[in-house]
Amino acid sequence: MTVLRTSLRNFLAHKGRMALSAVAVLLSVAFVCGTLVFTDTMNATFDKLFATTASDVTVSPQKVDNAQQTGTPDSLPASLQARLAQVPGVAGVVPEVSSQLATVADSSNQDVGSSTGAPTIVANWNPTQTKSVDITSGHVPLGPGDAVLDADTAAKHHLGIGDRLRVIAGPGDVTVTISGIATFRTTNPGAAVVYLDTPTAQRALLGSHDAYTDYALAARPGVSDDQLKVQVTAALGSGTYQVQTAAEVTAQNQKDIGSFLDPMKYVLLGFAGIAVLVGIFLIVNTFSMLVAQRTREIGLMRAIGASRRQVNRSVLVEAVLLGVVGSLAGIGAGIGLAVGLIKVMGALGMHLDTASLTIKPATPLIGLAVGVVVTVVSAMLPARRAGAISPMAAMRDAGTPADARAGRIRAAIGILLTSAGGTALALAATSASASAGAGPLAIGVLLTLVGFVVVGPLLAGLVVRVLGAVTLRMFGPVGRLAERNALRNPRRTGATAAALMIGLALVAGLSVVGDSMVASATAQMNTSVGADFIIQAGNGQPISPAAARAVHSAGHLSHVTDRTDVAATVTAPDGTVDKTEIAAATPSYTDDLQAKTVQGQLIDAYAPGAMSVPAGWAKDHKVTLGDRLDVAFTGGTTARLTVRAITSDDTVFDKGAMYTNIAEARKYLPADRFPENVMMFAAAVPGQQAQADAALKAATAAYPQVKIRDQAEYKDMIQQQLDQLLNMIYALLALAIIVAVLGVVNTLALSVVERTREIGLMRAIGMSRRQLRRMVRLESVVIALFGAVLGVALGMGWGIAAQKLLALAGLGVLSIPWTTIGVVFLGSAVVGLLAALFPAFRAGRMNVLKAIATD
Amino acid sequence: MTTSVSSPQTQGSGAHTAVAARARGLTKAYGSGETRVVALDAVDVDMPRGRFTAIMGPSGSGKSTLMHCLAGLDTASGGRIWVGGTEITKLRDKKLTRLRRDSIGFIFQAFNLLPTLTALENITLPMDIAGRTPDREWLERVVETVGLAGRLKHRPAQLSGGQQQRVAVARALAARPEIIFGDEPTGNLDSRAGAEILGFLRHSVDQLGQTIVMVTHDPVAASYADRVLYLADGRIVDEMHAPTADAVLERMKSFDSRGRTS
Repeated sequence: MTVLRTSLRNFLAHKGRMALSAVAVLLSVAFVCGTLVFTDTMNATFDKLFATTASDVTVSPQKVDNAQQTGTPDSLPASLQARLAQVPGVAGVVPEVSSQLATVADSSNQDVGSSTGAPTIVANWNPTQTKSVDITSGHVPLGPGDAVLDADTAAKHHLGIGDRLRVIAGPGDVTVTISGIATFRTTNPGAAVVYLDTPTAQRALLGSHDAYTDYALAARPGVSDDQLKVQVTAALGSGTYQVQTAAEVTAQNQKDIGSFLDPMKYVLLGFAGIAVLVGIFLIVNTFSMLVAQRTREIGLMRAIGASRRQVNRSVLVEAVLLGVVGSLAGIGAGIGLAVGLIKVMGALGMHLDTASLTIKPATPLIGLAVGVVVTVVSAMLPARRAGAISPMAAMRDAGTPADARAGRIRAAIGILLTSAGGTALALAATSASASAGAGPLAIGVLLTLVGFVVVGPLLAGLVVRVLGAVTLRMFGPVGRLAERNALRNPRRTGATAAALMIGLALVAGLSVVGDSMVASATAQMNTSVGADFIIQAGNGQPISPAAARAVHSAGHLSHVTDRTDVAATVTAPDGTVDKTEIAAATPSYTDDLQAKTVQGQLIDAYAPGAMSVPAGWAKDHKVTLGDRLDVAFTGGTTARLTVRAITSDDTVFDKGAMYTNIAEARKYLPADRFPENVMMFAAAVPGQQAQADAALKAATAAYPQVKIRDQAEYKDMIQQQLDQLLNMIYALLALAIIVAVLGVVNTLALSVVERTREIGLMRAIGMSRRQLRRMVRLESVVIALFGAVLGVALGMGWGIAAQKLLALAGLGVLSIPWTTIGVVFLGSAVVGLLAALFPAFRAGRMNVLKAIATD
Repeated sequence: MTTSVSSPQTQGSGAHTAVAARARGLTKAYGSGETRVVALDAVDVDMPRGRFTAIMGPSGSGKSTLMHCLAGLDTASGGRIWVGGTEITKLRDKKLTRLRRDSIGFIFQAFNLLPTLTALENITLPMDIAGRTPDREWLERVVETVGLAGRLKHRPAQLSGGQQQRVAVARALAARPEIIFGDEPTGNLDSRAGAEILGFLRHSVDQLGQTIVMVTHDPVAASYADRVLYLADGRIVDEMHAPTADAVLERMKSFDSRGRTS
């Protein structure tokens, strides 16, 4: 009881000193809870949407594994409607037409489709739609010229009744006029939806009036969904069609959306984990410093009879209190964070309803568990140290604790771990294949990280002195004092810097890999891409035949290449079966992308009955030139193709592609099953580059989804995509860095408290407030820069090892992003200054008399 | 009593008077109204240049407060204080800090030194902070005087208590301040080490012409001074010139008994 009371009093007495640790716990827990609440809310929103749209039983085409991307959805014959109506138990049959493969453009040829990754859906207006939307103005599509647009898209693109829309799909284009606006009853998570009248939808999306994409069946009263499904299956025969109950459709949709949301959730939780890791350093430091400052007090408790265990426990109880307080605040902050994220997503076009904010009972429990466990585990070591304080400590002079010299054992362990990690990284860098090196790389990253944390305090002496010589000496005696202060407790400086190191090492490592990727891609483009223009459709969709024809029609071009991926099952001579894609292209593709071969000539793979395979695959399946492979094209017939070339895996583009002539592939597939082009390439007539560019853009003006890029623009796009990815990662790492900065603030603030008497002395003998503040700031900057040095060294090691490992897989060029590295250092110095703001202010404000009168 | 041989203040100016520090009507009160406590009650005092003054008095007599006010560490509630020719009662923190740095030396009872600095760095710290280069010759003389020549590279933790206080004395002397204030400088030392320190202080007054004001409750320490001021209830109640330990002790006893009977 006394233990608890002492702990509680201590906790309350030092709440200021605990504050930053509590904030660290808060941030980590908030990130964890925020992620959970956000993803749960998204799931709940989709669940609600799916639940409202599903019909009792839905009949749709049987799903084919590894299907061809034809640009036209699979359909069912119109004759099926009458058969379904005859099935016992069916109250009504609603034929539906729906496609997510169309592009919708406004009158000025701007794409009005979803830009958030949510689908753009074009569907026929049918009675089922009224379950999910209301026509809030205008009327439903009554004739071939009418269309209803969803309200969100209309608002976003300033479209209204009377505006024209063009629906561009595989079978062709149709132009319609908006006759009505539909508003979602539940939340529309960002999809753009256009409704057409049924015949128009059939013609535009399926190219036939005799087809639908599915049938929505309503059950007669008293007939359950499952019973109806049995009846329908019996009537249609099993295997030909997919028959699903409402529950099955919803489950299917949930699974689909889950495959998109779950990775996002785990990535976010991963970053939260990094922040938690960094927070541990902060908490360890706080408790170590509190125990050190309380040495006499603890000594007294021991002297009057408190046992080691009691002392130990009293510290742990404080940790539990801190964990609980931090976690509870963190859970609240996490819910706030989720609401904030939902608002941000709303601004980006993904409307989630904050009213359906989903807080599962497990979420606060997980938050609390994370916060308390992390805090208690972090306090374990300092608590043990507190228990080890001898009763004699009460009798000794107070004052700052003796310098904790990092021991030899620590040095040995640290050096051992670091060199083991370094060896693993070197092993990864020199390994024969990317997959063989991944293991050593991961082990190396982990070991070097732990090793650096362990040797950090030892390096502090060296690095801080060097940094001091470079930066602090110019500040004279104040700089010298700052340097000495940073060196006075290497373990503390080391732990503070290590926390910062983790985030910065990840930034540095990823920036090296990212920069090398761009440099390698650019280098490869320079050496192997012969095409002047690279043509793709936005949103990762294929290029519709009409758009492809438009590209072919442009003038000033010496050649145009069609390139598509044809789904096929390849059987190797060793009997293994691979469900894969064959890259089918016009032979001019060998000029557009001059893929290196390890055996044979690439152009030979485009001869009739020929193909190429990648080197790794060939090795795995013991395939050599001249071998014949069975290639069963999905939805078509089986070809026997001869391997005429084996391509190198050392490439950024088309890694692992099996090439064949597009004309060859067409032989084995009916025309309507043949996939649309995924990419096209074009070369200008020599000297007519500019005219060709203009011609291409003019020819494809009516197809907003088609993007034409020359080589420079394509390089820019790669750079931008990578920058976007890196920036997103940096933003997520910012949390870990913020926690680390809090750690610097914490260490400094506690140090200032600990050095009260020294500060008083310095003020008494004439150090000005400004000099004092500068001293604290410089100490902070030096700690932050120390963290940056460790982080950058570690990160560069990781990045270089990863690049060397991937050098065989196309990442041949090592590029160190000096700007990023420079920003890391500069940023660390700035962060150091910011971290010192409060502690320096506090030191400056300290009352001289009180400071020297302490104790 | 010895008179000062030569003034250490070479860069002297007209401001040099026979008094190094002076207070008139110096009052220090804490709190207000009912809870008002007067620590110093209209004290008039002069600290003559080149002399060694000891301030004595029972606990709570205001002796430390007097020293803190004279040294510019604490602000007075009323009255005026001069250090050298400068009135410090009106100075803001910045100028006060500079005054402490340039004109005042301190020796505290304990914790006089920065643990991260060597003995020599501690000694030159006030000058380093001021951005002045120490006078080599003078520094050597001071170091020699306090007998620290072999210990300059040591950190405080590697020095004994007496040695630490000697470093503090050297620091106070090195900058050649107008006046040195000692707050029980021997309070934490055994009698031999204490005698050593007091010997240095006496020596610096006699040989270097330094002005020293020291707060103490030890009659033996006070006997090293030229003059002893007795404080009681925030007033100077007595003064003794050329004190001896026995005489000081006698006087203290009489105050004590008076204090108890009143």
